[in-house]
Amino acid sequence: MGAVKSAASNKTKAECRNCACFENDPALIEETYKGLSAMSSGFGSARDEDGLCNRHSLYLSARDSCPQFTKRS
Amino acid sequence: MKIDQGGEAKTTKSGVWQEFWSKEDWWAVWLGLGIVLLAYALFMGGKSISWIAVAPAKWSNFSQLGAQLSANGIRYVALLGILLVLFTIVTSFIGQRPKEFIPSFICLFVVSLVIFTAGNWDQANHYNLEPPLVALLLGLAISNLIGLPRWLDAGFRVEFYIKLGIVLLGATLPFTLIIWAGPVAILQASVVSIITFSTIFFAARKLGLDHRLAATMGAGGAVCGVSAAIAVAGAVRAKKEHPPIAISLVVFWAIILIFTLPLVSRALHLPAGVGGAWIGTSEFADAAGLAAAQSYGGLAGPDTGISGTSEQALASYTLIKVIGRDVWIGIWAFALAVIAVTKWERSEADPKAQIGQIWWRFPKFVIGFLIASLLTTLIVRGYTLGDYNKVVKPSLIAPITALRTWAFTFSFLSIGLTTRFREFTAAGARPFLAFTIGVIVNVILGYILSAHVFGHYWSVVPTH
Repeated sequence: MGAVKSAASNKTKAECRNCACFENDPALIEETYKGLSAMSSGFGSARDEDGLCNRHSLYLSARDSCPQFTKRS
Repeated sequence: MKIDQGGEAKTTKSGVWQEFWSKEDWWAVWLGLGIVLLAYALFMGGKSISWIAVAPAKWSNFSQLGAQLSANGIRYVALLGILLVLFTIVTSFIGQRPKEFIPSFICLFVVSLVIFTAGNWDQANHYNLEPPLVALLLGLAISNLIGLPRWLDAGFRVEFYIKLGIVLLGATLPFTLIIWAGPVAILQASVVSIITFSTIFFAARKLGLDHRLAATMGAGGAVCGVSAAIAVAGAVRAKKEHPPIAISLVVFWAIILIFTLPLVSRALHLPAGVGGAWIGTSEFADAAGLAAAQSYGGLAGPDTGISGTSEQALASYTLIKVIGRDVWIGIWAFALAVIAVTKWERSEADPKAQIGQIWWRFPKFVIGFLIASLLTTLIVRGYTLGDYNKVVKPSLIAPITALRTWAFTFSFLSIGLTTRFREFTAAGARPFLAFTIGVIVNVILGYILSAHVFGHYWSVVPTH
């Protein structure tokens, strides 16, 4: 099972946010998910920093990680 | 502020303080509370923001209208100028280009002025010209029949305008009302949210849909529409193609309910507060629900036989939607994330369910809403009812209400202008069926709780 972790683990290095496969620019998310901006927003708090993993084709948290982590150059 | 790192994937900078100027929620708080504090400061000095907070008054013929517009023309130009400066600053921080935002917002303001003015025609109710619905229909017609260039979307920030309007709405609601009706709102909304989520989730599973898609759709129908769907999609690590399915379903049903809930409420002659509570329980997105609640509240009066006031409809709607549903999105996301990593199939990623998301996903504009309400309540406390009606209401509450109505009108018009049906993902028969079953349960249950179980609360909601 995945550990239930606290916000203190924000600076973990191998997180999706630092991965070359991860994209979470709000404008890009709005562009990818047409209709998102019609009744919500890519820039709202509820979305946090979630984004798209282009390796696994998932929409997930920037705080996630996986064995295929590829550090952004 | 967004950056492009390494020439590859686009990500945002992160940090504890970054959120304060990169999220629309916080900007709604800063701007909303800034307006409220300025209004209070001037009020305490014996002045008012009423000159700049100009709004169309009732009119019955074109000569009256012409006189009104020529007398207030300079005030409208000044209001446009100030909003343009403030909103350009805000949207620049969250990544919009000023050269795209400025012309777009000017168009939005001008059309909103036309709608706002039409809504104040004394025959508007007779012809069902409720401004929120007119704004929505006009926007839908422009975006789907005529079409607008994509860059104009820079000014159509539905969520920012609605959050700003809700913070300003806080300044017009007594804090004692939130304390008095908040627990009832939470109880009613929780019952409906849990039952609606379970209905959609288990119907979707029965129809063979993936756990994560079922959860994303369930949250969209049960909590706060598209925002909940996208939040839960991230929390449960949905497949890339899941969010657009939920978004299409939520927007489709939200637009139908914007029109049908006020219509059915009117047919049933529900008091304004009860209608607002039903809409708050059964509509999905904040902006869509506010359009419906404001429309229904606008019908209250002797002409229609609907009891209560427009403020009651907005108050009960906001209590249920914002306090009863929106604030719990982080808890829903966390709970579903725990279930996803412990019970459902493991994804290729190495998932974690982090308790911090209860705060990270918390809709921060609610903080501004509560502070604004508390401030007004403290200020108003020392006045008698007579002084309140004679001094406080025209100098302080009415101008804030006018600015709030502007913000809501921008939002309602923006919904229509950004809803391009041809761009929506086809949801498929099984997701549509599962979600529709949830909508039916939600609407029936919402009516029973709002009109019968808690109807005695919502029909007498006290407002300023």
